[in-house]
Amino acid sequence: MHPLDDSLAHLTRRAFIGRGAGGIGQLALGSLLLSALAGRSEASQVRSPRGLAGFPHFAPKAKRVLCLFQSGGMSHIDLFDQKQTLVDFAGKELPPSIKGTQRVTGMTSEQTQFLVVPPIAGGKLCGKSGLWISDLLPHLQTVADDLCIIKSLNTEAINHDPAITFMNTGNQLPGYASMGSWVSYGLGSENEDLPAFIAMVSQGSGKNPDQPIFSRLWGSGFLPSSHQGVGLRPGGNPVLYLANPDGIDREHRRAMLDDLADLNALHAAESGDPETLARIEAYEMAFRMQASVPELVDVSGEAAETLELYGPEVSKPGSYAANCLLGRRLLERGVRFVQLFHRGWDQHIALNRQLPNQCRDIDQPTAAIITDLKRRGMLEDTLVVFATEFGRTAYSQGGFGDPSAGRDHHGRCFTVWLAGGGVKGGVSYGSTDDFSYNITADPVHLRDFHATILHCLGVDHERFTYRFRGLDTKLTGVEPAKVVRGILL
Amino acid sequence: MQHEKPIELRKASQGLLVVLALATQARAAPADRPVDFNRDIRPILAENCFACHGFDEHARKAGLRLDRAESAYEELDGITPLVPGDPEASEAWLRISSTDPDEVMPPPSSHRALSEAQKGLLRRWIKEGAAYADHWAFVPPTKVEPPRQDVAPIDAFVRARLATEKLEPSPEADRATLIRRVSLDLTGLPPSADEVAAFRADSAPDAYVQLVDRLLASPHFGERMALPWLDAARYADTNGFSIDGGRHAWLWRDWVIHAFNSNKPFDRFLVEQIAGDLLPDRTDEALAATGFQRNAMITHEGGTIPEENLVNYGADRVRTFGEAVLGLTLGCAQCHDHKFDPISQRDYYRLFDFFNQTSEPALGGDGGVNAAPTAQLRSPLVHDDVDALRARISTLESMLAVPDDAVPGSVAAWEGQQRADLAVRGKDFALHPVKLLKISTPNTGSGFSIRDGRYALVERPMGFVAFDVSMELPARTAPITGLRIVMHPDPDAPAKGWGWATDEGVGKGEKGSFVVTNVSLSAGTIPSDQVNLYRLLPLRTATANCWSVDGRPEGVLNTKANEAWIPDIGVEGPVRLTLTFSEPLPSDATHLTAQVNFGRHGNVTAKRMEFFLVSGNDDDSTLPQSIIDIVAKASDVRTENEWATLRSYVAKHAPALASLRSDLDYVRERLAIHAEAFTALVMDTAATPRQTRILHRGNYADPRDPVTAGVPSALPPLPEGAPPNRLGLAQWTVSRANPLTARVAVNRVWQLLFGTGLVKTAGDFGTQGEWPSHPELLDWLAVDFVEHGWDVKRLVRQIVTSETYRQASHASKAALDRDPDNRLLARGPRFRLAAELIRDAALKTSGLLVSDLGGPSVHPYTPGDPWREISHYGSTPATAQTFSQDHGARLYRRSLYTYWKRTLPPPNMATFDAPNRETCAVDRANTNTPLQALVLLNDIQFVEAARAFAERILRRDGDDAARLAWAFTEATSGEPTPAVLAVLARAIARERAAFAANPDAARRLLSNGESVRDATIPAVEHAAWAQVAALLLNLSETSTRN
Repeated sequence: MHPLDDSLAHLTRRAFIGRGAGGIGQLALGSLLLSALAGRSEASQVRSPRGLAGFPHFAPKAKRVLCLFQSGGMSHIDLFDQKQTLVDFAGKELPPSIKGTQRVTGMTSEQTQFLVVPPIAGGKLCGKSGLWISDLLPHLQTVADDLCIIKSLNTEAINHDPAITFMNTGNQLPGYASMGSWVSYGLGSENEDLPAFIAMVSQGSGKNPDQPIFSRLWGSGFLPSSHQGVGLRPGGNPVLYLANPDGIDREHRRAMLDDLADLNALHAAESGDPETLARIEAYEMAFRMQASVPELVDVSGEAAETLELYGPEVSKPGSYAANCLLGRRLLERGVRFVQLFHRGWDQHIALNRQLPNQCRDIDQPTAAIITDLKRRGMLEDTLVVFATEFGRTAYSQGGFGDPSAGRDHHGRCFTVWLAGGGVKGGVSYGSTDDFSYNITADPVHLRDFHATILHCLGVDHERFTYRFRGLDTKLTGVEPAKVVRGILL
Repeated sequence: MQHEKPIELRKASQGLLVVLALATQARAAPADRPVDFNRDIRPILAENCFACHGFDEHARKAGLRLDRAESAYEELDGITPLVPGDPEASEAWLRISSTDPDEVMPPPSSHRALSEAQKGLLRRWIKEGAAYADHWAFVPPTKVEPPRQDVAPIDAFVRARLATEKLEPSPEADRATLIRRVSLDLTGLPPSADEVAAFRADSAPDAYVQLVDRLLASPHFGERMALPWLDAARYADTNGFSIDGGRHAWLWRDWVIHAFNSNKPFDRFLVEQIAGDLLPDRTDEALAATGFQRNAMITHEGGTIPEENLVNYGADRVRTFGEAVLGLTLGCAQCHDHKFDPISQRDYYRLFDFFNQTSEPALGGDGGVNAAPTAQLRSPLVHDDVDALRARISTLESMLAVPDDAVPGSVAAWEGQQRADLAVRGKDFALHPVKLLKISTPNTGSGFSIRDGRYALVERPMGFVAFDVSMELPARTAPITGLRIVMHPDPDAPAKGWGWATDEGVGKGEKGSFVVTNVSLSAGTIPSDQVNLYRLLPLRTATANCWSVDGRPEGVLNTKANEAWIPDIGVEGPVRLTLTFSEPLPSDATHLTAQVNFGRHGNVTAKRMEFFLVSGNDDDSTLPQSIIDIVAKASDVRTENEWATLRSYVAKHAPALASLRSDLDYVRERLAIHAEAFTALVMDTAATPRQTRILHRGNYADPRDPVTAGVPSALPPLPEGAPPNRLGLAQWTVSRANPLTARVAVNRVWQLLFGTGLVKTAGDFGTQGEWPSHPELLDWLAVDFVEHGWDVKRLVRQIVTSETYRQASHASKAALDRDPDNRLLARGPRFRLAAELIRDAALKTSGLLVSDLGGPSVHPYTPGDPWREISHYGSTPATAQTFSQDHGARLYRRSLYTYWKRTLPPPNMATFDAPNRETCAVDRANTNTPLQALVLLNDIQFVEAARAFAERILRRDGDDAARLAWAFTEATSGEPTPAVLAVLARAIARERAAFAANPDAARRLLSNGESVRDATIPAVEHAAWAQVAALLLNLSETSTRN
């Protein structure tokens, strides 16, 4: 018997026998309902705790994903991919041979000068692996040996909306399914009391408000909407509509749901409608969520030392640090895909002022979650994805040295990193030219990146399709995509 | 393996086998029936072969085409792919049947494999002559004689299919089910218990037909029919891309409702939307229709590349036209020849050219102003009784003129409150200096600073800008009750004013003033550069020492740009704003961040701001001095003038009259809808034609061959004499020769009424689409529809009066096993209601529904302000960056009038599978999730509906049993069985006991929602019934149409 059938069997037994509800308990009725389950139609299915048949395709290295998405376009130049030449050319025109004919955005395309700006802070070679990481990220420097830094990520998109949509859904235009919803669809959840895909948003202190973000980034697109990312928010209603209305406590709700289950079961028996049974189960799951989510977001039981690890902002609801800690708690509970969106990385202006703030938001908590997962033995089967929609230009947007100047968008090459489940630690993959402007070796298109993430989860991206608009649509799209084998354990 | 749908729950059960077995039965020819190329073979070839051996010449391998007979029969290098009648001589068969991995087709690398059944079919097909046929949907439909004459044609076709499947139709559903089903389908609203009873009792032989005709004539018919069209047309109230600012698009939505209500012929319905602006007899109404194409998403994001944007807009129009009108997925051909359908890339760009000739700018729509081209138009949806509206306005005005008549005692009560407040004004008031740490704003790096830890300076004029000022709080003993912001006159500001604004309406043209549209505060134990949106301090009042007529200080408590604090320009010296917290500041708070938003228009920033904590009571008042003076006077010594001033003030500001004020505002808007023209997004033709080119791989930056407007070569040409523009395209679309349009249209109506179309893939009638469940019926309906003038109401009537539609939906286990998705129609359709209908039903059942038609979109209850968390608020003139909930009637409008923000659609709708309206959607998922349960249980809209429904129940005479029975029918239309009544009786008894033991809980439950409760009902009784009402609104039956 399928596990859901089993739980419904239990439920109907409870409704009809266990409590002898209102004199209508009869065993025959219960089994009649159960027999109706066999032909349950597509519509009647509760959010599945399990994934698709045949998934994963092969033994996964990672069971779950934590995606730390830095929204706005994080500067690879300042933080991960610095070059001495950038220092040498400070204030000088970016050589035309480097700049080439590739398109730039409408914000700088009219500039007459493209003056090179070196990284705004120093950095050092970290750990045994000697990866270079900016001094703006001192905590991250300490976990360098766990990181697999990809410096050759690239995208065709150069503006936020298409770029962030591309990175999160595999297509520049709206209408497609997000990474997390694909994973939820394919692999399902490991926890029946929580959604398989949870998303959280935090505001950056470098730039607030920054570029808007969109629910399509965690939406289900053409996939059934039961796979959309469920927003987890700070406050008394961490999931929208979770809290009972004022005046109704949990016990009171339970009593009402018992009546509801009885009435729905009666209707199912009368109508032969298996959807009604599935709805009973949905209400039961909702009731369980009303307990499991508050328990999840209650961090009062966390050790003081753990809280310290994440840094002072962990006590600030809705902060990136607080979301990182919640992320760990979600992963512990079997949530398949947790995604944080941290806004504020769009440093067109005041790079010197904004970027250190942004880095401070994320530095300690990001290092902390790597450490925390590792010491709990979870890093080896959790894939941590640290990504953004594009990098930033080597040249100045605005006058060189002007405190108001920043960097424009740069999709030709940018840096992301992976850690944990299935990838090598302490490695740098792909390389860029002396100005961190063009890729010189091992390009990784974002499609390849998606294919690699799926691979770590035991999924062959070529065989993971959904029929939409007449096509077997894939997260990796229609163009060829390859798994980046060189970074895999 | 294909994953067309979430089959995960079926996988371990016998259900999957049943489905597969059915699919095979449904598609494959029985052994005694010849193989049909379109039904049996094309899907296999399309699925497995055409990607490399099909229409797309660039992807074609070995020069082989299997999509055309002449290529497939042709010998190539001594090898013949298909030899009709002789599988063993056919290379295709040899490869398909091969077991050699290097030989077998499809190759293992394609991840495709043919089943034995499919191979068998292919072999039979070759054996039987390998006959090709044009794809069914590209051949114009013909009307075949229905298989029997003794029943209506629909039933004749459906029964014939059932007979071949050896299935029996179900009997007619009972009366209650019928009226519920047809009411929900035709109006989107459930029938009342009284309507159910009347219909049950109506013994007239044509009672059902009369009911149908009544529903077809209902003004709600248009609302119901509009809903799926709004999805297909990706209708929304925001621009979509990037900042996703607001637009004014509702006039088009009203046009759609009106078109269905007035039964506009469907061909005209399409022609006006495609080319209303080009019609020789163009009317304003036809121009409004072209908003269909302006529903496309647009952007004004700086830095985007105009050519790229224009390609995106045009591609969206082609895609929407393809899926919504033609049932073709044209999007593939944007980058390459279509792999499955005979649509070349050239065809694509020729179609694109029709839509490419508008003057719409590449970047537009900022500041809440519609992007060009626009027109000022009247809403065609005139429904309200204008005289009644006028009468209502004057009633409300006169009620507000004498507040005591409207709400007895309201003036005295208000005065009493004011006197009490004034009596303690300034009590223990003290200011506590703070240390300013930092000031920041997102879009500029200079022009502001902190001086001496005391002043926040804005050194040059700016607009649409929010400043975040972080501060360290002093140690203190007194509870902190508020924050004061002092704006100082500054020698560097214009005429030594307080700010930079000198434009009209703010200053007098010389002295610099400012406009504060919002102040948001958060506090904590660590410094925070940015206000924490997730922990905003609730504010009780905002006062100032002065304000201008249109600039009252409480405007800073919301995020609306048109409500703002603007000081009185005549006042000398500093001006101040005082914000009083709802609760004293937590004593452990050491830091506070204030976001001060100067968001109305350009250059309205203040110059020098100073911040203080406040303890004790605010020494300013919300009242102007003139009112304070009147309130201070004994009532018997006030002049008539003073009384009038006081009454007028109470009418404008007293909370007790808020609902009257919202009503008046709403009714005035209703009148304006009839009396005024509104901006609408329309189509036009640019003065200078745009040259459309084929874009290599769809890349806007790689334009190649120029093309001119034209229709796909695999479809009939433009009609004789049709102009080569959108008008010609429109004429072609609805021409008799077009094989697709009418089929797609009737299929969409069928989909609305049965949950699934005769063609399940409603947006894809191409070769990858699904074979129709009843092809002859589809064609018969399509031809009949056209022959009868594309009469939508007639079509709907035809279907809903069929016996097929009227069948009971009860399904035996055997029936479910045999046909779980009811494609054979041996029973009535049953499915969960659409998101909008679930909410609308709750509103109607509760009696709260405001059933007005059309008008500007509304903002009903939404938890908090989810928009602000993702938007660009504080940094843009764009609208729709923050959510401001409406009040009064607007909370209870039908759901299709809810303001639709594309980047964050209404969460209670999205939870029930409403699409985000970013792109064309012709089919909604129908999921069942715990989050849906949470909406129905806890969304204030539904909690309030239960409370109001309880009042309706309690207004009925009778004992509990009678009330429960009525309420059950009112919610579900069904008759409760004794077992159901037993559970309900148990529930009301339990709820009474629970609330009697905890009357405070009853009071709190009843306080949910803004509608006024009937206070004469004892709270415990009311709350108990509200819980039972909630139980009924949560029943599976209530949200199901069966």
